[in-house]
Formats: sequence, C-alpha cells, structure tokens
Amino acid sequence: MPVETLRDWIPVALSADLPPATVIPAHTPSGILALWRSASGKLTALADRCPHRGMRLSYGFVRGEALSCIYHGWSYGLTGQCQRIPVHPELIPPAAIKAASYAVEERNGVIWIAFEQPETPPPALEGFKPLRSITLNTDAERITATGEMRVLLAGIDVLLLIVGIGVGETLAHVMVDAAASDVDCIAVSRAVEGWRRECEQLGLEELAS
Amino acid sequence: MPAAHERLTIRGNLGAGSFLPWVARHAARLGLDGEIHHADAGRVDIDLRGPTDLIDAMEMGCLLGPIDVWVETIDRTPNPSA
Amino acid sequence: MTMAHQPMIDQWYPVALASQLPPEGRATQLMGMPITVLPGTPVRVVTNDGRDLHVIVRYGHVWTSLGKPSKELFDIPEADQPGRRLVEVGVVRVRCSPLRAVENFLDIAHFPFVHTDILGAEPHTEVGKYDVEIRDEEDEVWATKVQFYQPQAAKSASGGITTDYMYRVPAPTSTVLYKTCPARPGEWDVITLFVQPLTEELCDVWPWMALFDDETALTDLIHFQQMIFLQDRSILENQIPRLLPLDPGREIPTRADLTSVAYRRWLKRHQFTYGAQLVAQ
Repeated sequence: MPVETLRDWIPVALSADLPPATVIPAHTPSGILALWRSASGKLTALADRCPHRGMRLSYGFVRGEALSCIYHGWSYGLTGQCQRIPVHPELIPPAAIKAASYAVEERNGVIWIAFEQPETPPPALEGFKPLRSITLNTDAERITATGEMRVLLAGIDVLLLIVGIGVGETLAHVMVDAAASDVDCIAVSRAVEGWRRECEQLGLEELAS
Repeated sequence: MPAAHERLTIRGNLGAGSFLPWVARHAARLGLDGEIHHADAGRVDIDLRGPTDLIDAMEMGCLLGPIDVWVETIDRTPNPSA
Repeated sequence: MTMAHQPMIDQWYPVALASQLPPEGRATQLMGMPITVLPGTPVRVVTNDGRDLHVIVRYGHVWTSLGKPSKELFDIPEADQPGRRLVEVGVVRVRCSPLRAVENFLDIAHFPFVHTDILGAEPHTEVGKYDVEIRDEEDEVWATKVQFYQPQAAKSASGGITTDYMYRVPAPTSTVLYKTCPARPGEWDVITLFVQPLTEELCDVWPWMALFDDETALTDLIHFQQMIFLQDRSILENQIPRLLPLDPGREIPTRADLTSVAYRRWLKRHQFTYGAQLVAQ
C-alpha cells in the first residue's frame, strides 16, 4: 500500500452501527481491525490479533472501558494496553504487552480509521447524514476510482463512500441529503439495493464478456 | 507482584545465530529487564528482573525459541551473583 | 508432499466411523491425498490410483496411513473396560490446522470464556500449577494434576465441582482427556479428539468418548459434546495464523500454556510439522 494512503482516513462504519460496549470487525483495504466503543462511548481501533495466542479481538466482548479477548479473557484498554490476564489475576501486565492501536475518529455519524495519524481530521461531509452501510460482491474499481460517488436515488441527493475490502468485495457507506425526510430515507434505502444489484450484475457481465 | 531477580540457565543446541536476538525480542515483549550473562553453543545464561509470572512466561517462550534451536532444559536460580 | 513431512506421514489417522460407512464408501482425503474408505470385511482404504493403504479399525473408527507407521495404534485400555458407554460423536469440519485443533483441546484457561457456565465460569479463572512431561517410554505428552472449578462439568454432574483432569497426546493429531467422573468417583471418564488432517489448514475432527453414565440419553451425550466443540470451532477458525506456530515469537505463552508448549516441543523434536508454522510472522 503506497505510503501516503497510510495517512488517509478510511470510512469503516456508521456511528449508529457501533453502540456503546460493542466490538465489530472494521474492514479496510489492508485487513481487518477490531473496532470497539467503550461503555462511555470512546472509540478504539486495535490490530485484530490478540498478543497472547492470535485470536481475533473482533470476536471479543466489551466491559466498561476495556475490550476482552473471547479466548482467554485478556483485556485491553483504550490505548490497546493490556490491563488484565485472568489466568494470572495478581499480575499487573507490563506496558510492553499491548495490542497495536490505530487512529480512529467519528464525524457527522461516520467512523474513520487511519493506519498512521493523519494531520487533518476526517471530512465532515456537510449537507449529508448517514443512512446505512452495505456490502457489494464486486470490485471497488468497477464502481469508482475515487472512493466517493454522488448519485440521485429515489430523487434524493446521495453520497456513497466506496471502499474495496477484498477481491470482489466492496463496502459502501450511504449518506443522504441532510434534509431528507424519513419517507425519503426509506425510499433511498430500497433504491440502494437496486443500485447494488446493478453494480454486481455489471461486474458479472464484464466477467462473462 | 514484587519484582524478582532470577537467572535462567538454558541448555541445548543453541548455536544458531537467531537465538540471542530472539531472546532479546521476547524479553522486550514481556517488558522484562534482562541481560545475557553467558552465551555459547550449548548454554546461555540470562539474568532477568521483573514479576515472577513474567519470568515464568519468558521460560515458556524460551522452551521453544526459534525453529533452528533446540532447548533441552532451563534451570532457574533466584538472586544470581554478578 | 515434501520429505519434511515424512515423520507425520508415517502415522495413523482417523478417516471414517466404521459403523457409518455408506455402501459406495466415504470419499475423503488425508494430507492432501484423495482416498476412499470402502465398507466390507475387511474395511479398505484406497487411493485414486487403486493402491490399498494399511487399515486398522479401533475405537469405532477406521484408521489408515499414507506411509509406514513404526508402531501399532496407541492404546486406550479404558475402551475395553466393561460398563463404559462408547459414544461416537460424529465428525466436525474445521478450517484450521489439525495441530491447532489438538492444542485447543489441551487448554483449560479458555473454559470460563468459551464454555461459559458449562466447563467454567468467572471469577474462577485461575489455573493452578500442574505437571507436564513427555513420557519417554511411550513417547507421549502427558499433563497431570490439572484441576479446575466447573459449574456443570459433565451431563451427569448436577452442580459445580472441582474437576480433575489428565491430558495425553499419543499421536500428533490425536489427544485423550481423562476427567473425574461424577457418577463413579475414582474412575476417569475418557474423552478423545481424533483429528484427520485434510490439508495443512483444514481438518475433520472425530470426537469419541468412553464414559460411565447410564442415565443420560445417547443423543444428549452427543449434543453436549458437539455443542462444546462448536464453541471451540468459532475460536479455531479465527486464530491467526491458521497454522500452529512452533516459534512463539508473535505470541506470549504464560505458565498456564505449559501443556501447549510441551505439545509444540514434542512436535518440534519429532519434526511433526504438517500444519505447523516454522517461523513466526
């Protein structure tokens, strides 16, 4: 991955899809991170690999301000620092035992991560509000080269944040005109699924041709 | 968990060049202060300071070490002389 | 198949349940080699080019080898002990190294988190000191004096009890667990995991048991074991890397991982490396 993109913000989820005390796998072009929100609402993005025995931390559980690995319960704080090893309850884990943590910020209802701390905050995307995220079984390059797309769906102004997360797998975060009504939002949500089928169908036709 | 001070005497087939760097990396991963007191192809002595649970963990790691090394035994002596 | 894996090729592996062989046989594979297990007397295991492999039928399973094992199949005397119920649990496909499946079986520190309120529960998370040795005569890994508090240790157990365990690894991908039997103090229940290596990152796991339990229905015994194993599978299929590292350079084993360390040392010494990662990354 070219160096400058290490500093780019990557949209990984909508804030509403990550309630307090929850962890989810955050899919990025260069792998999965364990993205979690503490009970008090703070976001942390960690390498998705427990330093103990390599279990994915995105399968863990959040209690208070710590994420615990589901395998042996090792717990990590907001900086990825290991705080507790249940099998050795008296041990205060040293600073050296930690899961790598990455830059994470949320703005206007979208959660962004970056592999290296960018200088500027993520875009605010003024004029839009978050609607939903969906996965498409096609390559991102087939949809757009830039990572962003403006379309009209169900007559509503829509901004799509497009991220390639694997071969033939793309994540799209759908933002709608901030002024859209609930009825508009439902219409756009349905229309987005039609848009997805078109993209996937387009992909198949190209493959077949 | 008070800090302990122990010497790990590792014996086996330790001549591979990969072993000492591996030991240093693993001690660092455990946040242990350590120094190689002696090292030859058949024996390596490491002096470690830190909580006993972490010295135990260092022993666990060293019982395996890198693939091109075979550790036969690890003996531990508390409060080694210099 | 590189020469490096010859020591593991010359071993016995489970490839089918003798009692459940369909007439046309079970098409499967062993270490990347397609084979078919054919019912009959005797049962046969043939390769695609028509070669007959050595076969043993023991503990309800058909065992075979792609090479020339130097020993008979390991012995489990309890299997012939009168009064025990022999339970064939079936097979579970797991996307991980066969060696990972065995290493997970040897670990008890995960009980409170993976088998919550069944085999373990917080706050009883501490693992007391236990003994691990490689018994030279049998050349097997043994962990003894293992104790753990369990809310409901076995179908036949009513409440929580401190359970005694012994673990044994008699072959690279087979492991036997001896567990205090609530119904018969002084006797051990025997629970095994016979793992069939399909490839280095894919295996079929055949749990098998020899228990003292005349009350619990067979279906419940099987369901209990399958539930436990499916909980383990969600771990096994999400560990990085899929292969079992023999170099813990990217891990932090602690004293509670002693059995796993002994198992990996035993694999390393015998060059049992099919399904192993040699250099940590």
